[in-house]
Amino acid sequence: MEYVSPIDERVREPVAFAPRPAALAGKRVALLDITKARGAEFLDRVERRLHEHGAETFRIAKETFSKPASPDVIEEIALRGDLTVEGLAD
Amino acid sequence: MVAVERDFTLPSVDGAPVSLSALLAQGCPLVLLFVHADCPTSLLALRRLASLGEGAALVCVAEESPEVAARLARRTGFSRPVLAEAAPYAVSRRFEVATVPTALLVDRDGAVVETVVGWDTTAYERLFGVELGGEPRQKPGCVARGLHEEGPGGLDELEDMLDRGWSDGLPVVPPTPERVEATLGGRDPGHSLGPVPPAHGEATLERVAACAVLAGCRPAYFPVVVAAVEAALEPVFNAHGIAVTTQPAGPILVVNGPAREQLGLNSGMGALGPGFRANATIGRALRLVLTLTGGARPGALDRATLGHPGKLACCFAENEEASFWPPLHVERGFAADASTVTLVAGDAPLSISDHRSRTPEELAATLAWAAAGQWSPFWWPMDDTSLFVICPEHAALFAEAGWDKERLRAAMFEAVVRPAAELRRGETPPLVQAAADELPVHKWTSAEKIQLVVAGGEAGRFSAVFGPCDGMKTEPVTKEIQWST
Repeated sequence: MEYVSPIDERVREPVAFAPRPAALAGKRVALLDITKARGAEFLDRVERRLHEHGAETFRIAKETFSKPASPDVIEEIALRGDLTVEGLAD
Repeated sequence: MVAVERDFTLPSVDGAPVSLSALLAQGCPLVLLFVHADCPTSLLALRRLASLGEGAALVCVAEESPEVAARLARRTGFSRPVLAEAAPYAVSRRFEVATVPTALLVDRDGAVVETVVGWDTTAYERLFGVELGGEPRQKPGCVARGLHEEGPGGLDELEDMLDRGWSDGLPVVPPTPERVEATLGGRDPGHSLGPVPPAHGEATLERVAACAVLAGCRPAYFPVVVAAVEAALEPVFNAHGIAVTTQPAGPILVVNGPAREQLGLNSGMGALGPGFRANATIGRALRLVLTLTGGARPGALDRATLGHPGKLACCFAENEEASFWPPLHVERGFAADASTVTLVAGDAPLSISDHRSRTPEELAATLAWAAAGQWSPFWWPMDDTSLFVICPEHAALFAEAGWDKERLRAAMFEAVVRPAAELRRGETPPLVQAAADELPVHKWTSAEKIQLVVAGGEAGRFSAVFGPCDGMKTEPVTKEIQWST
């Protein structure tokens, strides 16, 4: 029996992860706050630990947790950072 | 090429048809591994065999649709070829596969020379001549789909739909080309309304029509479904957030204008309940577009902790005839004789009974205070829309008093206010935590967050309010229904 599929059946290539760095020293780490409650507290702790490992950090926030990050946010992370840690919170 | 016993052709997950004879021409003997996605042992086998190199003569036959088979391969890291065998599982049945996983070692003529049923590390190590290691060494398999999902009378078409996952859990109408064509009514099947979050499948009119058919829509309802999808895809509606949130959020469709009568949409007795095909199937069609085309499958990308029954379908018409207020679409800038769909994101409705109030002030307070506990009793103020469905008897009381919507909204907004100190219990926003004790805090950030529509039967004083999707930054969207093709 032939049917019309309600699904977009195109197969999309999975996006490969960026290569993992061997060490954190000297790396620039973006700390992405999605603006959910207490996410900043989590990132504060992560930031201290990253500094102990010799990493540099910078903070960046999404406009709202309920929507995907804007292209500007993604671009800034890509331009300035080697790594990203996202605080999902709650 | 040698004639191959029990030759078959199945689609691979990248879309190309692949035959057994072609596979055997590339190398033999060959191991055919039968699996399906609901079988933990199948997943175990795929994960353990994922480490085999490119040279391994191994092909997986998944008793699944191509998209489920592709997902299965991705989840398990299995990189050897995967073929998809949807119902009625003729290949599995022809090879008498009763259990998954089953590995069949097939020689150059297509004859089965060895069979491994379930997971057996030793047997697989012998088949491929490699050490696989790991635990468990053995694990029993599951019943194959081909064995248990076809009855003596052949495959049931409705079961087939559910096997494909083309459902919200209830039986659906199979979207045959004839039904989809009738639903399209001459519209361009390839025309896209845009990518549907969260997985961004393209909402071509053909796919939207397939969802309308699955939902049980008559072709005449299709323009309403299209308008609802257009509304859902407006960025301000935030379909992405609503789809993936842990909140019980879903779209609520309100239809206004002549379409209500033309299509038999219920705005009267039981307007939020069951029993009316147009209401039930139009609401359901939008849900299926979001779930199937958009990929918001409950438990997968739809992360709702509980969800609510209205996520199956939630569509009603405004009872414009029982209201002395301008109807919702006129309030939102459309002509009175236009037919529109307004989409509001909300959670489950709460019934509000009030048979005793005799003044508009009392009734406004009842309605507003009923909503005071929504989202969370101490989470004030809320910055998203509360949609109140006012029953005709309640609406009549406001009409007799000459209260327009603005006055009612203002009264409801002013009714629900408490000093900050009283709200500092449980879940309280930072604003209230930091406020002076006596600072008055309202339930809503503004009166405009209170939306009012009239619906329901002429008898009974039961209104309702749909809870807001707090923090979701979603706004109601209204689209005019386009009847012409």
